[in-house]
Amino acid sequence: MNVSTLLYLLLSLPLVGAAFNVFIGKRLSKNIAGGFSTMMIGLCFVLALMLFNQIDGAQKIKAFNLLTLSNFSLDVQFLLDSLSLWMTLIITGIGTLIHLFSMGYMATDEGYSKFFVYLNLFIFAMLLLVLGSNYFVLFFGWEGVGICSFLLIGFHYSDAEKGIANSLAARKAFVMNRIGDVGLLFACFMLLTTFHSLEFDQIATAVDSHSGFTFSNLTLLGITLCLFLAATGKSAQIPLFTWLPDAMAGPTPVSALIHAATMVTAGIYMVTRSNFLFELAPIAKDVMLYIGIATSLAAAFMALRQNDIKKVLAYSTVSQLGLMVVALGLGAYTVAIFHVTTHAFFKALLFLGSGSVIHGMHHEQDIRKMGGLRKAMPITHATFLMGTLAITGFPLLSGFYSKDEIIGHLFEANIGLYGVIMFSVLMTAVYMFRLYFLTFHGRFRGTEAQWSHVHESPLNMTIPLVILSVLSLVGGILNLPGIFFHKGSHWLSTYLNKSYGLHKIHGHEASPNLTLALMIVASLVCLGTLGWAYQQYVKKGNVAKDDQDLSGWERLSARKLFWDEFYHRIWVLPTQCVGTFLNQKLEKRVFLAGVFGVAQWSKKGGEIMGRLQNGKLSSYLMWMVFGLTMLVLVFIIKATFWN
Amino acid sequence: MELVLLPLYFGLVAFIVSPKFGRYFILAASLTSLGAGLARLFSYQPDTYQTLFSLSKANALGFSMEIGYDGLSLVMVGLSNLVFFLVALANLSKEESRSSLFNGLFLLMQFGLNGLFLAQDGLLFYVFWELALIPIFLILYWFGANDSQKTWFKFFLYTLFGSLGMLFSLIALTQFGFVSFAYGHLLQVVIPAQYACWIMSGFLLAFAIKIPIFPFHSWQANTYDAAPMAGTMLLSAIMLKMALFGLIKWMIPLNPGGLSFWQLPIIFLGVVGILYGALIATRENNIKKVFAFASLSHLGLIVAGIMIFTQESLTASVVQMLNHSLIAIGLFLAANRLEVGFGSKELSTMGGIAKLAPTFGVWFGIITLIALSVPLTAGFLGEFLLIKSVFQFNLWLGVLSSLTLVLGAVYMLRSYQMSMMGAPAIGTFEDLPVNEIIVYFIITALTLFIGLFPEFLIQIIKPSIEQIILHTQNPALTIR
Repeated sequence: MNVSTLLYLLLSLPLVGAAFNVFIGKRLSKNIAGGFSTMMIGLCFVLALMLFNQIDGAQKIKAFNLLTLSNFSLDVQFLLDSLSLWMTLIITGIGTLIHLFSMGYMATDEGYSKFFVYLNLFIFAMLLLVLGSNYFVLFFGWEGVGICSFLLIGFHYSDAEKGIANSLAARKAFVMNRIGDVGLLFACFMLLTTFHSLEFDQIATAVDSHSGFTFSNLTLLGITLCLFLAATGKSAQIPLFTWLPDAMAGPTPVSALIHAATMVTAGIYMVTRSNFLFELAPIAKDVMLYIGIATSLAAAFMALRQNDIKKVLAYSTVSQLGLMVVALGLGAYTVAIFHVTTHAFFKALLFLGSGSVIHGMHHEQDIRKMGGLRKAMPITHATFLMGTLAITGFPLLSGFYSKDEIIGHLFEANIGLYGVIMFSVLMTAVYMFRLYFLTFHGRFRGTEAQWSHVHESPLNMTIPLVILSVLSLVGGILNLPGIFFHKGSHWLSTYLNKSYGLHKIHGHEASPNLTLALMIVASLVCLGTLGWAYQQYVKKGNVAKDDQDLSGWERLSARKLFWDEFYHRIWVLPTQCVGTFLNQKLEKRVFLAGVFGVAQWSKKGGEIMGRLQNGKLSSYLMWMVFGLTMLVLVFIIKATFWN
Repeated sequence: MELVLLPLYFGLVAFIVSPKFGRYFILAASLTSLGAGLARLFSYQPDTYQTLFSLSKANALGFSMEIGYDGLSLVMVGLSNLVFFLVALANLSKEESRSSLFNGLFLLMQFGLNGLFLAQDGLLFYVFWELALIPIFLILYWFGANDSQKTWFKFFLYTLFGSLGMLFSLIALTQFGFVSFAYGHLLQVVIPAQYACWIMSGFLLAFAIKIPIFPFHSWQANTYDAAPMAGTMLLSAIMLKMALFGLIKWMIPLNPGGLSFWQLPIIFLGVVGILYGALIATRENNIKKVFAFASLSHLGLIVAGIMIFTQESLTASVVQMLNHSLIAIGLFLAANRLEVGFGSKELSTMGGIAKLAPTFGVWFGIITLIALSVPLTAGFLGEFLLIKSVFQFNLWLGVLSSLTLVLGAVYMLRSYQMSMMGAPAIGTFEDLPVNEIIVYFIITALTLFIGLFPEFLIQIIKPSIEQIILHTQNPALTIR
């Protein structure tokens, strides 16, 4: 098949899956309905592999012209190059596994086929996002995934107990993402006014050659900062990260797919795609670096004292995304994508693992009520352990390599910041091992009834876990550092470098000796924490404290540094106050009471109203209509027959 | 000519059709008009002007009675016919549709509007402007909430007062090298600079009240609130488009001289309206008023776009006008279903309907998303281009107007969430009848079509817009 056929098939299969479930999914058995959707995404993965095989370099495929105005035109056009194809592989690959998992996880849910409609639509929007050849198509996908995320976070909106909370979380996610979207919108405006185009390649060429376009560094700074604002919304960075922990209200497969593996990395993808702009805006890169570090630290700190299994993972995601943003800020774009990849493996694994736990525990998410689950759920336990080791940077696992590369770049750029980020890495190990031990080791802390129900999940849930744990184990070989084998090292970076702009960027890569030294330090941090956590949670049998027993810093961690409260004070309340003031005071007292002469009329109005109520005025008006109508008629007739 | 006369003939007949069949009669009548409009639309050759009717010689008053269309007028007539068809369809199951009086007035209003969009004569434009107002006033008066006479009265006097401004301006135009009220002749009138601002003010008053532009909006929310469903739909979906159309087709080209004075203030007021409407909509409890203020917010952006009058902003304004009409019908239809189901318009008393009426939940959800201007819909394109125009006009106004995206998400999702999500607040709730599903379907299909293939529309209106812009740059150039 030729490339464009493959591309259109790739884009349409998720829609076919969605349509199938909209129209006939409900009438079929759940396995067929969900299976069909899963199969569609599986086929997408196969198509993506075929494209991956066929494409060397970059290929653009134009679907149609959307609109042409006097000074610019917008096309619906797609770009197949190493970056977009790599993202496509991640999305469809992880997507297939998570679809499969959902068939088990959602089996008893009444909104089963609706769930698959949303998931398939999400895959479609995400593919649009990464495959678009310009910012406009990217924007389509960008908002599209936001809507699917909204629908899926609030999926259980009619739940008697949590329905309102779920829908509020969904709304918060959408509104905060919209703030980011405004950034993307303004970036588009500035790009259009400067380059008269939104096509990635045209802008890249224009920026390179400086031919025919005049633009100042200030413009570029504005564009890149706006793009980054958008990225902070989607990729949950300070200042717009607070929606992601709340987004855990959605079903767990959603958290795995959207809020860990794919959608939240859209910001990383977009910045990587715009590398040619960011390279010319050093200030924007510095902003990214510091925001990344701050987010990574703050989120890791917040994760330390969370007791909801999914919340720990959510803050962990924010923290890991912070690391990726650090890589972007250092200009190590391919390294960021490498971490996107390994993070997709192990974070999807962890979320699905937690889903399996939640499923086995009948919707209990509090780790204070868990413990000792390794006996009852052996497969979940083994795979969750694999994910934990991968994310904490256990030597030779996938997370070890990707994290180490970011840290190596940071060390070369700024030793002080290296120290700061190592602290975040340390905290990551602390909260992850705490989570792991409290969930799977020690004694069971739930009720008798709960324990009697705990069960291992069915095959369609454990198979994805096993596959993902293998990927988490070996994912590092995608981009091995040069110290092991010189040949074949950095495969992923080399592959991604074929994309626009990326081939010209050479980050500060650490020397082999230094790499080795940093790896040893990182391994020690991980192993040391592992030993410490084992002492604390298994040997000493410490458990998570209840809220009232928390010390000062623990409360800060558990309450998210009071970030939500802060935003509530500075944004939400003032807006509400202004809205209420306008509505209750200005609108009702001033405009309705009438400063524009209505006040005087209302007096006379009273008199005329009297007559109105007799029906006189209304009948006058009725005659007026007839009169005017007849007048027009007479004119027409006269003109037609007497001329 | 059938575009104008069909609704008139049907309207006159509708007064005597038995109330039993009346609603089917007006449905068929509006469908026929829609068909006629579409036939014209598909056979239209871009960049041509078609005269439908004209007096061979203007009479002593300078009244030429010319009726005809270019691309822009044709699109507006098409929109008008579409809106009337959709409202008739949506209204099938409502009480008012069983009254011959209502049905007759309904079609007479369509006559007025179609005439207005096709009028190529200033005086005729004015006549139709008034003619369209009276049926809607009577609909409100006879079929609206009983205790709201004061509201109707205010609405009527307010808009009448505005119209007076337009009449004065039209008469004033006759003082400067006037030949006749025909569009082409009026454009050649050379207004001395010292009067330009005043003549513009007259037109502006009429249009600002009807649209409404902040701070002339005080009639709007209460009128929408107390009107019967069809009345609210007609007011917001098509009535105020008269004024937007008037801005584009009449006010700007007639008097480019006055623009320099009024442009910035009106754009500024438009942006204020965006924020004012949106902020109130986030706190209002009455669902019809939420949508009324949302409408004020959307219109602020369109007005700003029109007053910037570049090719891009005018095109986007027209796209957004169509989009707004469709959204307004959808939203007020949903509001009516909620109102009837709950016996109250207060959002705080609602909740959990999506569970009781899943079909309604889906379609109201889709309309909410369309109103949020999500990608692939016409609104996305419209807002993208409009905010871009404002942004290019002035950075800070652009930033302020972009807040509509964020606040829009807040108030739309808030009203959806409060009414549809959570645990059901009521025992039973009637799900959608077929006619309403069809309305929602048409709205969705059309917004998607315009959003994905806007070129179809843009090709038709582009020459009209280009001519208007050329004329403002060089008033000696005539249009057509």
